[in-house]
Formats: sequence, C-alpha cells, structure tokens
Amino acid sequence: MPVFGRTSIQGLIAVLVLCAGAPPVQAEDWLPISPEELTMTSEPHAPGAPAILLYRQVDRDDNGPTETIYARIKILTEEGRKFADVEIPFYKGTEYVHSIQARTVHSDGSIVGFNSTIYDKPIIQARAVKLLAKTFTMPDVQVGSIIEYRYKHDFESGYVFNSNWVLSEDLFTKYAKFSLDPYRRYAMSYSWPAGLPPDTAPPKEEHGKIRLETHNVPAFVTEEYMPPENEMKFRVDFIYIADTDAAPEKDPKVFWKKYGKRAYRRVDDFIDKRRAMAEALQQIVAPGDSQEEKLRKIYERAQRLRNTSFERRKSAQEEEREKLKSAGNVEDIWKHGYADGNQIAWLFLALARAAGIPADPVIVSTRDVHFFNVNAMNPNDLNSNVVTVTLDGKELYLDPGTPFVPFGSLPWSETAVPGLRLTKDGGTWINTPPSKSKESRTERKARLQLTSSGTLEGKVTVTYTGQEALWRRLEERNEDDADRKQFLEDQIKSDIPTGADVELSNRPDWDSASQPLVAEYGLKLQGWAARAGQRSLLPVGLFGAQEKRAFQHTVRIHPLYFNFPHQSADSVSIELPAAWQVSSVPKPCNVDRASLVYSASTEGKTGSLLLSRELTVDAMLVLTKYYPTVQDFFQTVRARDEEQVVLLAAKNAAGH
Amino acid sequence: MPVRPVCLAAFSLWLVLVTFGAQPAEAGDAPPWMHAQLNGALPAHDDKTDAVVLYSETTLTVQPNGKIKKLYREAVRILRPDGQARGTIRIYFDPQSRITDLHAWCIPVSGKDYEVKEKDAVESAIIGVDGGELMSDLRTKTLRIPAATPGSVVGYEMEQELRPYVMVDEWGFQDTVPVREAHYTLQLPRGWAYKANWLNHSEEHATEAAAGQWHWSINDVRAIRVEQDMPPWRGIAGSMVVALVPPSGQDPGIQSWHELGAWYLGLTRGRRDASPEIKQKVADLTASIPTTLGKMQALARFVQNDIRYVAIELGIGGHQPHPAAEVFSHRYGDCKDKVTLLSTMLKEIGIESYYVLINTERGSVTAATPPNLAFDHAILAIVLPADLETDALQARITRPKLGKILFFDPTDAFTPLGRLSGALQANFGMLVTAEGGELLELPQLPADTNGIERTAKLTLDDKGTLRGDVHEVRSGDRAAAQRHELRATTQDTDRIKPVEAVMGASFSTFQILKATVGNLRVPDRPFEWNYTLEAESFAKAAGDLLLVRPRVLGSKTSGMLETKEPRQYPVEFAGPERDTDVFEISLPPGYEIEELPPPVNVDDGFASYHSKTEIVGRALRYTRTFEIKELSVPVSKVGQLKDFYRIIAGDERNSAVLKRVPP
Repeated sequence: MPVFGRTSIQGLIAVLVLCAGAPPVQAEDWLPISPEELTMTSEPHAPGAPAILLYRQVDRDDNGPTETIYARIKILTEEGRKFADVEIPFYKGTEYVHSIQARTVHSDGSIVGFNSTIYDKPIIQARAVKLLAKTFTMPDVQVGSIIEYRYKHDFESGYVFNSNWVLSEDLFTKYAKFSLDPYRRYAMSYSWPAGLPPDTAPPKEEHGKIRLETHNVPAFVTEEYMPPENEMKFRVDFIYIADTDAAPEKDPKVFWKKYGKRAYRRVDDFIDKRRAMAEALQQIVAPGDSQEEKLRKIYERAQRLRNTSFERRKSAQEEEREKLKSAGNVEDIWKHGYADGNQIAWLFLALARAAGIPADPVIVSTRDVHFFNVNAMNPNDLNSNVVTVTLDGKELYLDPGTPFVPFGSLPWSETAVPGLRLTKDGGTWINTPPSKSKESRTERKARLQLTSSGTLEGKVTVTYTGQEALWRRLEERNEDDADRKQFLEDQIKSDIPTGADVELSNRPDWDSASQPLVAEYGLKLQGWAARAGQRSLLPVGLFGAQEKRAFQHTVRIHPLYFNFPHQSADSVSIELPAAWQVSSVPKPCNVDRASLVYSASTEGKTGSLLLSRELTVDAMLVLTKYYPTVQDFFQTVRARDEEQVVLLAAKNAAGH
Repeated sequence: MPVRPVCLAAFSLWLVLVTFGAQPAEAGDAPPWMHAQLNGALPAHDDKTDAVVLYSETTLTVQPNGKIKKLYREAVRILRPDGQARGTIRIYFDPQSRITDLHAWCIPVSGKDYEVKEKDAVESAIIGVDGGELMSDLRTKTLRIPAATPGSVVGYEMEQELRPYVMVDEWGFQDTVPVREAHYTLQLPRGWAYKANWLNHSEEHATEAAAGQWHWSINDVRAIRVEQDMPPWRGIAGSMVVALVPPSGQDPGIQSWHELGAWYLGLTRGRRDASPEIKQKVADLTASIPTTLGKMQALARFVQNDIRYVAIELGIGGHQPHPAAEVFSHRYGDCKDKVTLLSTMLKEIGIESYYVLINTERGSVTAATPPNLAFDHAILAIVLPADLETDALQARITRPKLGKILFFDPTDAFTPLGRLSGALQANFGMLVTAEGGELLELPQLPADTNGIERTAKLTLDDKGTLRGDVHEVRSGDRAAAQRHELRATTQDTDRIKPVEAVMGASFSTFQILKATVGNLRVPDRPFEWNYTLEAESFAKAAGDLLLVRPRVLGSKTSGMLETKEPRQYPVEFAGPERDTDVFEISLPPGYEIEELPPPVNVDDGFASYHSKTEIVGRALRYTRTFEIKELSVPVSKVGQLKDFYRIIAGDERNSAVLKRVPP
C-alpha cells in the first residue's frame, strides 16, 4: 500500500518551539486529467508495471509543522488494483491526518466519488505509543482507472525533526513535485546521497522554500546481493542541527573540523584517568612484555569484559533490577567490569596509551545499513568506535568492542569505511583497511570412501577463519550446543548440492577470537555416483551448492555487494571400491577474472581420487555493468563443478 | 451427564493448585499455582526441545444469563535459548472475546519473581499479511515476560469474556512442546448441559467436582514437532470441542451441522437481493450468450476478475457477507461477498446456488469434526440444470435432493468454472441450504487436471552444447501458480524468471534465446510456455566419451524426508498431479550410444513414476510420467515415499554415455 511523504521519526530532534497552529486545507479542485492519462494502457518507461504514479506532490512546512500529500495513480493491470487500498500511518496524540479526499476516475472520464468509511487501524498501541493508520479503499477500481487521493498530515506543534523526500517509490513516478519550508530557528543541511534521477535538477531554494521537481523515476526493486536498500534509492535527506555548535557549514571540511575538536574533547575527557589506567595495566601485562605482547594482552582483556551491546535484549524491569551503572569514564568501566562495545573500545584506547603505545580514537560509519556521506554533515552517521595504534611503525585498526574479532582485524561492517581520526585540532579522515580474501577462508577437507552402490561416506573437516568465523560466532553467541550443532550441520548441508546425512562430531571452539572455528562431521551421501552400465559417473563439485544458485537472472539493476572478500578451498580424497578403476577425469580448470578466481583439478590414482577446488571472491562492490562478467564466471564454475569422473566398476562388483 | 471415577491423585493436585491459585499473589511475585510447578519431573523430551508446558488450566464458567468467562493459566519451563520465544505471549481477541485481565510472571533461575500486566502489553491489528483483511476487529495483545531465559519458568493468566456466535468452546491441550499436565473445567448453571467431542485423541471422561462443575485432566501430552507438508494443526492436535446446551426454553444453541447451517443461513438472509444495477449487469453480460453454461461462465469471470478482493470484517462481518448490491457497487469484497454476489447474479439467469463454508487447509475439518466455526473461506455450490452438458464441469457431485452440484471458488481468479484448486479437493465443507447445514466432502479431480507437460526437441553438438525448443503446458494449480507469479511481476524483464529458475536448477550454463507465454489471461485454457534454449557444457566430455543427462529439465524429487528424525505425521500433497516429460535429443555426428540408463518403473499406489531412455533413429528420447494419486501418505508408508523420491533423484542424475566412433 502506498504511503507517501511519510517522515521518519528516527533521528527525531525533540525541540520545543513556538509555532502557529496549522492552517486549514484549502478546498481546491482536483488537478485536471489529460485525455492521454485517461486512456493510456501502459507506460513505455515502465514496461509491465502494474500501476504508475502519474503525479505526486509533497508539500511540507516544518513551521506548522504540517505536510500535504497528493497522489494520482494509474492502474494498468489487475495486480495494480491493490494500490487502491491505502494506509496512512500516524501517531495518535501527536499527529493528525485529516481532510482526506479520494476519487476513482474511469478511463471514459466518469468519476466515482469516495464516500466510504475511513478506519483508524491500530498498528501498535502500547503505553507510550499509539501508532494507527488511516485506512480506506477506493471504490470501483478497474484496470485503466485512475485513483487519486490527498490529505493533510499535521504534527504536534513544537516538534521539528529530520525528514526526507524519497523519490524512488514502489511504483514508477511520471511526475512529482516536492517542497519544504524549513523551520527557521535551526540550521539545516540537505543532501541527495544516491544522486538524483536523470534530468532532475538539484533542489532549489526560493523565497526560503526548498523545491524539487522530477520526472520518470523508476520503480524501486530489490535484488539479492545488493547494497543497503536505502543507499540505492533516490532521495533528499534533510537534517536539522539543534546544537548550534554543530550547525552545518557551507564547507563540510569546516563542519567536520569543528565537530572533530568537540568529539576529541569528549573522548579525551572519557579516557583521562591515567592513574587508574596505570594500575589496571599492571594487572594485565608483565614488565618484560614487548609492546606487541602488551597490546595483545590489553586487547584480549578488553574483549573479555562483559559487553552489554551483544547481550540478549532485556526488559525495562530486568534493567531496573540489574541496576547497571553508566560509565562516566574509563575508570568506571574498569571498576564495573562491563560496558557497551563503543565504551570498551575507549577503555582499550586508554590502556594502550597507558602502556606507552601510540593510539588514537577513530569514529567510523559502518556500512551494513548505511553508506557514509561526508557532505550530509550528520555526526550520527559516525556510529562506531575503533582504535588505531602504531606498532613497530605499522598502523593497526582494532575494535575490541566487538566480541570474537581477531587481533588485527575489524568486523566487516567497519572495514573499508571512512572514519574520523580524532585529534586535538579536529582530526583527519581515514579509511579503515579492507579485509583480504585470504583472511576469510572456508576450508573443507574430506576423506571419503565410495561404495559400489554409489554412496560417498566419511569425514569432513571445515575450518572457518577471519570474517567467516566471526559472523558465525556472533550469530550463535547466545545459543546452546544443540542449536550450534544444528546451525553447523545446516551450513555444510547448504554447501552440498543434494541431500546429505551429516553429523557434527566435535565440539567447536565458539568462544575464541584468535582461533579458527573448526567443525568436523561424519558425512553420508547416497547415490552421489550415478551408474551408466559398467561405468559410474562421479560429479567433482561436492561443495558447489552455493555457486549453483548464484546469479541466474539475466537482468541486473543494482550493483552487486558482497559483505567481505572471501575464499573457499576444498580438498576431497575419495577411496574407490576395490578393483574399480579411474577411466577419465575432467581437465584442470583455471579461471582468473582479477577479483574472481576459480581453479579446480582432479587427480586419479590407483584406487583413489583427489578433488581440489578453490574459489576467491576478492570484491565488495561490483558495478552493474560488470554483472555479465560475474554471471559468466559463475556459469563457468557451475559447469566445471558438474564435470564427472568416469569410473570403471569391477566386472564382478555389485550393481546399484 | 455421566459421572465417572477420576484419577484421585491427579484430581487432588489440580484441586490444590486451583485453591492456591485463587489466592491473591504478592505484588510482583508469581502466584502459588506457578510456584507449585517448580518441582516434579519434566515430561519426556529430547535435547532439541525448547521448552515444556508444565501446567495449563482452562476454566470456562457459564453464568445463568448466558455470559461466559474463560480463565486460562499456563506455566512453561524454558529449556533452551530458542525457548525464549515462550517469554512473549500473543493473545488474539475481538469484541466477542474481550480480555478482562492479563498477568504474566517469570520465576527466574535466581532472584525475585517478575510480573507484567495488561497495561504492559502491545496491542496491534493483524498486519503485514499478504491478502489479509484491510480492516478487521481481530487484534492481538503481545506481552513480553522479563528474564525468559533457559531454566526460568514463565507463565500467564488471562481472563476473557466470551460472547460466541456459536455456543461452542474448544480445548486444545497439545502444543509444539511436551505438556506435563493440562486441565479443563466447565462450570455450568443449573439446567445447562454440555456435549463433548474429542478430536485426534481418545475420549477422556470428566469428573463432576461439584454441582454443575466438570473437570478433565490430561498428562504427558507429546509435542507436535513441525514437519514439512504435514497435515494442518487442527487435523492432528488433540482437542476437546464442548458444545454448550442451554436449558429447554432458551435458544438451544448449535448441536449439529444442520443447526450451524441454519444459523448461517439466517446471517445471509436478504443479502442476495438483486439491485436494478445487478440485474442490468447480468443482462449486459449474458444477453448475447446463447448457452446456460456460457452465461454461467461469463458471470463467474466477472466476479472473479472485476470484483477486487478486499476484506473488511468487523463484528459479525467476520461471518456475515455484505449485501450483494453493496459489493457490486463498490466492486470489492471478500470471499463470502464474492459468493453472495455471484449467487445473486446466477439467480437472475435461473440458476440456484448455495454457500459452502470450508477451511483452506485440507484436513482441518473432517467427517469426524463436531460442528463449529472452523472455516476460513467461502465458496459456492451451484445447482446444475438437469439438461446442462456437464463433462467439462468436473468439480461436481450429485446429491439426492439437489441433483448435480458444482463447487466453484469465485475468489480464486485463476481456476475456471468447473475446476477446483487442490486445497479444496477432497476437503470437507458445510453446504448451507434452506434446510440447514450439511457437512460434505468435495470431489477429488483426476490427476490429469493438474500438472506440467514438457516436450523438447533438442540438438546436441560435439562440444556438448544443447540447443532447441521447449513447449510447456500447465494445467490446474500448476497453471494457476504460474499465472499468479507472472501477474505479480512489476516489470517485463521479470517475466522470464520462472523459466530461468527451472533452467538454473537444470543447467550450469544457459541462455534463453526466445520465450513466449500463451493463455496468460485465459484461465479456461492451459497456460503455455514456449522457449528456445542454449546450454553450453550440457554434455561432459570424458576422453572419447560424451556424458549426456537424458532428463534435460525439471525435477520431481524432493529431499524433505531426508531428515534425521523419524517422520511423525503423514505427508500431505497439495493436490492430485500428473506431469509428463518427453525430451528428444539429436546426437552429434560421429557419436554412437555406448550406454543407456535403465528404465524406472515405480508404482506405490499413492504415487507412480515411470521413465525410459531409448534411441529413436539418431536421437536420444527420454520419457517420463510422474503422478500423485492419493493426497495423503500415512506415516506407515513414508519410508516408501522416501525411497520413491530417492529413485527419482537417481533417475534424474543418470547419464547416457556416447562414444566417438572413428569416421
């Protein structure tokens, strides 16, 4: 159901201001509909679209604060009729949706007025919040109809909050107009981080109002392996800065310089407990330790602290009863023995400095849900703390505030991102290092026997390192043995193209940051080798299931986004039934597309086979224009994985 | 009511718990009935069991004025992290089942108890359900219990005031986790009686604890572990359905399907009156059509396609349809609204029809189900004129008084008049006629009314590349699903995705050179795909051999039974089905057949599979037929079904071996 101009309450700046009440909606006529709009049956720019937005207008006045919405939708298919159901969310008590008008216009120009009930549908009602939706449906909507509706959305007097114009809607937009009358007492910045649709001029300020018009905005679609959804949408973000010290500047460099100075002071105040840190350090390191040994011990100790950011979410009652103390500085953290992840990073910083190791605070913007835009001048985007240390002349970026991260690494969302390295004079921008594919490996080693009935049976050992181990440990951090066992068994099953019996046979080390995650399994795979008369055919791609499903669709709209570069390496030895012979093996295969590398080889010996396979994905963001190359690469991988070893069964061997 | 001796020990324990439970709890402390659950052995469970229900108790109290109060208590011990979900309770309610009191507690592993109350709950409409109601007064209250971690015992107590449309209560005592003990108490005023029916459980007899009070207890109820393609919950979970019988002279309530149907008929009275606009529309739609069947089809198509599905179900509106004139005027309505309008329109051409209430999960209502409102859908039973040619109208049965009746679902835009979707076939529904209600079984259609027929003419070259044309004809649910998927696409480039999905599962490398769709918007005719493909590396070279998989496209096997745990419940198929494949591959010059895969012939009664690979001239010809004949496979035959799928998987992997011959 379409909801237009919905402002986010995230980033709400609750600033009480004086303002006049909202003016009443002007009783104006509907905008004229052209004959072409009435009779159109498709939109050349959106072939196959179920419906399109012919016109959309969002006028917002933050001095009201109020927003007026107008939407006109053309229904092109039966499926498109669902857009006749409308829900407009609002918070009861602080927001008021009113003056809703709607109508259906048929392709012959006849009009069906809206006089049905508008319901207040409860979305969430709790003690502190009542989120409802004005809900209605339009009458007599047929393929070819135009539906249009408009309403006013008033917000509580005295609240000003960040808003945005999302230009990329679920429907193709033929024409849209936006305006914003910003609240005048606070500074505001605005930006369009994903760019603007082709031929759309940037927002203009006219007489204190910001305006934008756009045409032919494609419908937004989602795809697998795409960057964070919001980053791909055309939108204009508006950010108010209530703190006059952090008011936006014309030059972002000036803004961040000023912000960096204040942020540095805050961090410096937080960590400035030298005596306490010196005492703490004595409990962690030994006098004869090298700088690296000291740093590793401090890291390990900081990481061992109770990290409240990664615990089960607790209820207010539990929190109240537990009475966790907030930390005003690093000494408090050390005394309490707990802190959130960001505070733990600063404790590590203070201890490193106490050990005489050069270290600086860095605030970074993680890339899991958002891509940083320096021009947006939004300090909230710098959402995670990292520490950079210089050890033997080499710079390391560390985050002990995330459990299980190996020393020297960062969690993937903090790799290859911009960060502000804080110093007295405001700091400098840095980019955290990307993780390397060889650091995040999945190694599968199998020793198997092939039975004369075509069954493969034996042991498999899987070793996960780097980010591959980290995400699994984080995901399962609050689970029990039975769940973790099931999780790992499901993991290996998802690597094998056909149904397999697997049984985890070891107790993996789930708690370590420094050791790989190693899982050992018993494996049984019935019917892996297929019979063809006296021959048996054995596919070589035992662990190729993930690649079998990848990138099948011909058309790609968004870039490909991999969380982190990674590698897999498989080594499978297969003992053949007695007297069986290897008739032929597939040729070795090596494909190198720079950031995508694949190699596979099969070695036939007397009574055994050795299958080797390596796959490297050394990319994070792949532009859409390179999608055919990626698709072609994975097709090659699949083709090679489906190659077969031809075995000759002994003449007296049992059939299957 | 008969009074039978009861297990004294169990009853005493229950009495103690109820007595203590009546005492007010100290603020914040869990009540004594919960603390009483801390001791005692847990019911049998394995290491994958997330939690166990230690105790549940339902007390239904009917007051002399007919008002009903329901008290429900439940205590659960959490055993594993996944069991923490038990710390979030979600209660559904509407104006007929108002919540009057709600408390929940946690007895943590250590420390004091926690308590949360109704005011801590979050209320919400049912949202985010695709195809769900636009507006309904069904709500949920969700209450999160603090410290719901492994080892803790969480529980809640809820009171509701019930004003059911049908005087029936249902006690479901089985859960997805083991239940140690479950109790049900019925308190009736003087002169009232009850009738209990048991579903999926042998009958347990009540003890009469006091005048007008009956009590049932069940211990150690095994968990229902969710399995793929298992029967619906109502078809397997143990429950007792209690019909309440007021004293003579009052409304006798609902004791039979007949009475339930009569009640429903009352709700629909006056709803099928044709407005002048409806009459005019019927005339417009049918005037130029000479045959009765043609007129019926035109009206059916109109309601299927031109009446948009929109459900606004407030109060009795959950059961009662809107008037036909309103549905027609708005051009929208839910399933029962569509039935109402179509019934009204059919009447205008002299065709009688009746409501049929049904549950879309086959097995939820069976011949053994006592009368209750366990339905979630409405369809139509159309009385066919005696002189109508009915060969094409397969979804029909014959009733002694009504003659031939045809079942039709006007909400399903993809299944034409004459057919039924698989979910409704062999399902039980309540037919509502002027004489009342009647529970009857809908027909199961022949397997060949649903399936995929693929034929391919392909050429293989000596590099292993396969090229050629595929013709695919889909019928029944297979056609409906494809039409639905294509209709839901938002851009033309996505239309090819269903074919890409089939190809992607069958080829490592492929290109679709051309593809067209036939009969997308003509549900009366089979849906068709025609496409031309090219698949490099389809045949694999091995020395002077070329390995070719005769089963070119598509898969009929399933890995759903490849689980460690033994199957607990029957396997339910969506509907009868018959698929056929005929793939012909012209061999590359210079190659001859060296080995052919063996034929496969399996017929297990409930399903069959036959495949054959042969040489026809210079072509490799693969034919197979896959048929589902019975809709449910009992647990005793699940092993056979597993083998059945394994045999198919083996056949699908098999290769023919071609050998290069010297020129």
